[in-house]
Amino acid sequence: MAEIATTETPHPAAAQPPSPLRGEGTSVRAAIGRSPLERIEYAIIVSTLLLMVVVTVQPLINLLAISLSDNSKVAGMSGLAIVPSGFSVDVWNVLIHHPSVLRGLLNALLITGGGTLINVGLTTLMAWGLSRPGLPGRRIIYVIVLITIVFEPGMIPEYFFNKHFGLLDSYWSVIMYKAVNAWYLIILVRFFEEIPEDLIEAARIDGANPFQIFYRIVLPLAKPAIATIALFYIVFHWNDFFHPLLYLNDQNKWPLQLVLRQFVVEGDKLSIVGLEDMGKYTNASQINLRAFKAGMILLTIAPILLIYPLILRYFTKGTMTGALKG
Amino acid sequence: MNLSHVIAGHKSPGNVPGNPEPSRAVRLSLGWRAWWPYYVMIAPGLLFILIWDYIPMYEARMAFEQVRIIPPNIWVGLKQFQTLFASPVFYAVILNTLIISGMKLLFVFPVPILVALMLNEVRGGPLRKTIQSAIYLPHFLSWVVISGLFIALLSPSDGAVNDLLKLFGMQPVGFMTNTGAIRWVLVISEMWRSAGWDSLLYLAAIIAIDPQLYDAAEVDGANRWQKIVYITLPGIAPTIATLFILNMGMFLSAGLDQVFNMTNDVNRSTIDIIDTYVYRIGLQTGEYALGTAAGLFKGVIGFVLIILTHLVSKRLTGRGVW
Repeated sequence: MAEIATTETPHPAAAQPPSPLRGEGTSVRAAIGRSPLERIEYAIIVSTLLLMVVVTVQPLINLLAISLSDNSKVAGMSGLAIVPSGFSVDVWNVLIHHPSVLRGLLNALLITGGGTLINVGLTTLMAWGLSRPGLPGRRIIYVIVLITIVFEPGMIPEYFFNKHFGLLDSYWSVIMYKAVNAWYLIILVRFFEEIPEDLIEAARIDGANPFQIFYRIVLPLAKPAIATIALFYIVFHWNDFFHPLLYLNDQNKWPLQLVLRQFVVEGDKLSIVGLEDMGKYTNASQINLRAFKAGMILLTIAPILLIYPLILRYFTKGTMTGALKG
Repeated sequence: MNLSHVIAGHKSPGNVPGNPEPSRAVRLSLGWRAWWPYYVMIAPGLLFILIWDYIPMYEARMAFEQVRIIPPNIWVGLKQFQTLFASPVFYAVILNTLIISGMKLLFVFPVPILVALMLNEVRGGPLRKTIQSAIYLPHFLSWVVISGLFIALLSPSDGAVNDLLKLFGMQPVGFMTNTGAIRWVLVISEMWRSAGWDSLLYLAAIIAIDPQLYDAAEVDGANRWQKIVYITLPGIAPTIATLFILNMGMFLSAGLDQVFNMTNDVNRSTIDIIDTYVYRIGLQTGEYALGTAAGLFKGVIGFVLIILTHLVSKRLTGRGVW
């Protein structure tokens, strides 16, 4: 049965779908296995998964260890190390005073914050309007939206669009990029369609106009769904490096991802030469480049780590029921 | 998910305004007075889509033009495409794209299924939750970050992988600058990023399977493998089919962000894909029309692939791609 995907988050009216983050009620002993063979199998399964955890987390811990190590000892450190050798926060001290890094951080916050606000506002309003049954022209608007999913004109036409509209080298080029994402719009429309009509009707009889209904009834009900969409957009903007690279020639406007790319991927040492001047901010006259890169990568991940608990809470449920439901 | 549902829209019996659903004539006569607030809400978003998504489609006409320094450009028909197809580099790029996409489909695609099957066996909420929290994380890191991580991991002098090789008495390998190894670096890093998160969809499908099936199998004395083979795998087969088909639809996008950040002068020839080629000839060399033509070629093939996969998916599993 092709059940239309319903809600990202439990709806007052809908039964809560089982969460993958929750263990089931099956007895632990039965699952682990009764026979010795089954217990060995279970041990192998759990160790494989734990190995996956190690492979995922160790590289990050290694970078943390390197960034916190004593400068003179970084050179000899193994990629397998998970504790700092010696201890020093010099790298972090330099990082938070480095002009390009600071500017990148501020630019990224501006682009992510501004972009997400516009994304969420436009997408939510449009989704509510589109979710109203019987709206004349609804089909046509849907087709207009769906075409943007199936056909991509390519990066050069998009570049020239920005050029012709005078958006190159302006923050707006990246803040406004794909202001309404068709997939997220559809997810939200489906959520709104599940809101019981009785609620809306009752408010209408009480004399609320459509805008009041949207603001007072729909928005509070849809908070978890909107939070999910907002997190999607935040992650997109924060991680986007390609569009800033295309549209922003002025390095002063680069977000953190591009500054990181310059340091780490392109190994552009010239751009870090400014480090020599960094001595005045710290006692360290020379910062180890490897430690600096490690700190830089972690700094770029930090905001994602900060919102990761929210992501786990909203995304997992959202992808569960929103994207594919059999 | 299903296109016809999306287009046909609602199922709910109550309608606004009027109940039950008014006929087309009635709806139109209710007209502007009843519906204008909703159009006002839709308008800003729709306007953005029309401007940001549709004007670039119009800009793509450049693929059929000769760009001149002083406008207007001249219409040259398919000349840019002829140049493209006469270029051996373009064929090399297409071949690279197909090889990399094929390797990813073969080696990365099955991994999340295995991860979901294993996760489903893990009992004890906290253990499972901890594992999930860790393995979902890479999905949310940018390719700039992951590339930086892998460059560090694979460094011949002090990277973790080569440190392990040395531990076993082997010679260190410069993976990032080895043309034989770099495609495998793409495969492995893709796996590192998505094996965890992509398992979530399969896990969701597994959890949706009727628990009574497992109970019945238990009574019949089925072991772990029999339950996986006869209950779990058939249960998630539609999800596997849908995701496989979806992957096929994206076959010409071998991962621009990933390749872009892992390319260096040594490995370029082996991992130059259509998207990086478009960027290079179009925006770096300045052959805008030729780049647009290459991009449009990919866009049109991609369009056909997605429509095909949508139809196939609907036929096989009863639901489309969107």
